Amino acid sequence: MGPQAASPVDDRLYQRLVDLLSPPQPDPGPGHPELRPAVEQALHHEARLLDDRCYRHWLERFTDDCVYWIPLDPGGDPRTQVSYLLDDHRRMEDRIGLLETGWAHAQEPPSRTCRIVSNTEAWPLEDGETLARCSTVVWEHRKDRLPPFASRNDYVFASLGEEWSIRFKIVRLVDSRGDVRKFSFVL
Amino acid sequence: MSAANKSGNNIAAGADMTSVFDMTTATDLQALVQPHRVHRSIYTETEVFNAEMSKVFGGTWVYLAHESQVPEPNDFLASRMGLRSLIITRDSDGGLHALFNRCAHRASSVCQAECGSARRFQCSYHGWTYSNRGDLVNVPYPEGYPADFHKADHGLAQVPRLGTYRGLIFGTLNLDAPSLAEWLGPAGPLIDGFVDRSPSGSIEVRNCQRMIYRGNWKLAWDNAADGLHPTFAHRSFVILNERQHGGARSLSQFKSSPDDTGMYGADLGNGHMFVDQRPGLHQSFWDTQRPVPGREWYAEQITESSGDDAGDVLEVAPGSMINLSIFPNLLIKGNHLETVDPVTVGETRLHTWVAAAAGAPDEVNVLRMRIAEDFPSLGNPDDLELFERCQEGLGIAEVEWVDMSKGLGHETEEVSADGVVRAPVTHEGPMRGYLRAWLELMSSDVKLTTAAAGEVSCEVAA
Repeated sequence: MGPQAASPVDDRLYQRLVDLLSPPQPDPGPGHPELRPAVEQALHHEARLLDDRCYRHWLERFTDDCVYWIPLDPGGDPRTQVSYLLDDHRRMEDRIGLLETGWAHAQEPPSRTCRIVSNTEAWPLEDGETLARCSTVVWEHRKDRLPPFASRNDYVFASLGEEWSIRFKIVRLVDSRGDVRKFSFVL
Repeated sequence: MSAANKSGNNIAAGADMTSVFDMTTATDLQALVQPHRVHRSIYTETEVFNAEMSKVFGGTWVYLAHESQVPEPNDFLASRMGLRSLIITRDSDGGLHALFNRCAHRASSVCQAECGSARRFQCSYHGWTYSNRGDLVNVPYPEGYPADFHKADHGLAQVPRLGTYRGLIFGTLNLDAPSLAEWLGPAGPLIDGFVDRSPSGSIEVRNCQRMIYRGNWKLAWDNAADGLHPTFAHRSFVILNERQHGGARSLSQFKSSPDDTGMYGADLGNGHMFVDQRPGLHQSFWDTQRPVPGREWYAEQITESSGDDAGDVLEVAPGSMINLSIFPNLLIKGNHLETVDPVTVGETRLHTWVAAAAGAPDEVNVLRMRIAEDFPSLGNPDDLELFERCQEGLGIAEVEWVDMSKGLGHETEEVSADGVVRAPVTHEGPMRGYLRAWLELMSSDVKLTTAAAGEVSCEVAA
């Protein structure tokens, strides 16, 4: 592995994440139907890459200044609160690199997963970005059939179409305030 | 001890227990916990678990909360003592209480919130209303009660003895337990070391990661001072850091021959355990810290604002490089206060509360938040996986013993004046030590008591 770029995370980026989830959200109204096909194409493609454990291909779909965030207390400020994870590109590479060592016991044997993505809505943002919100259920089998992870996800796409790319992915687990079983794969 | 027990709620621990084989008699237990091995049944038998829930999680000091979680008058926080749901309150005069979350009327829980501020707790079922000291202040339509019904007799039951040490709040239901200071013993100064990393000498407990695993609570305890496992259990983490970041990064001190590094484990007595990883480091905490999101920008801010002191300021961000385990339910490690909460004999919750350094620049605590996600999300899943594999193996009834002999009979132990037994970090002495304390508690006759409002003592150990 080559040297990794410095983290792009700074105070401004945190503020943007907080603003994305800050309650009370004014209802942005119904999603824009013309954005939905391209957003669904990207979300379904992402789900398939993850279910197939094609993590390197998945990572390629994120911008250099991306954030992948699983908050514990959605609406809270990650500057003052801990999350399950808040990764920049560098730590996402680490997370995938960990699985690739062959010694990540919690993924031996690996989980087989099936993601259902639904309730997709999308709105245009400035600078060609697109905000997408959806509901996701991840079914997992590993040794036993395990209870699913249900979450409401928020995405900011930097681009859509053939070259779709994600700037922010936020996974709001419905049970993040409860006792969550370990997750050792990417949600 | 000022706590009395006018309400007469004495419960003899384990008195009504029926079991296939009587786990609660001292002689049987002694056969299960031997100097070099323990029997599988202490991890698998419901009878043992039930006895633990009274004799250990009640019969001795149990960590309940941190004072920074109830900083202002009338603040409250939900907590547990073993299987008992508690409300930790600070009354309007600043006094601390640990109220059982159980209406004195028909047993419904009276508080559903995790935390907040409240002067009163009203039961939603029939409207009995309590103060945050636990007094019953109101019942609806009081004229229907018998003449000898006195509100003073029907407050929320509460933990009769509380104690605090450097902001940590402990409680016990055992009026005969030693003082908190005596119970903590040599663990006290080690808590000081953890807390005093903060510039203002106190920590501020923030939010918590909640995980559950399918295994007995003592598997987390066996692991807490186990310096042998990182090399193997966390091999993925060690290899990753070497590949991606090179040099002496987080956990590299366990890459090979950890006993040659000077790291040690210690049996502190009363079941408390300690691992000191600091002798294994050859650079500053900050230089060995894996790069976390925001590392560069925040370090730059700190360098600008703190000038020549920046190195010292940054040193507060990474974890403490110690593992200090306060029996039976508090694991202090990294920048965390992790509670071990038994659910059933084969299921355990781990609640990992993150501590911010009070008095440090905000930027340091932003880094602490990201660092607090690092090992817990990359390394801990492997620990939990291995706990679950152990529980699976312990289910095989015919293979009975768990070996804990590493270090026995070797002339490598050092005993200090305060009774602390130190040994190389891969030895299993601390494990044997906590099980000795466990055995002593489990073999004792413990009388558990609850108190009414106004009958509670709170001792300040430091």
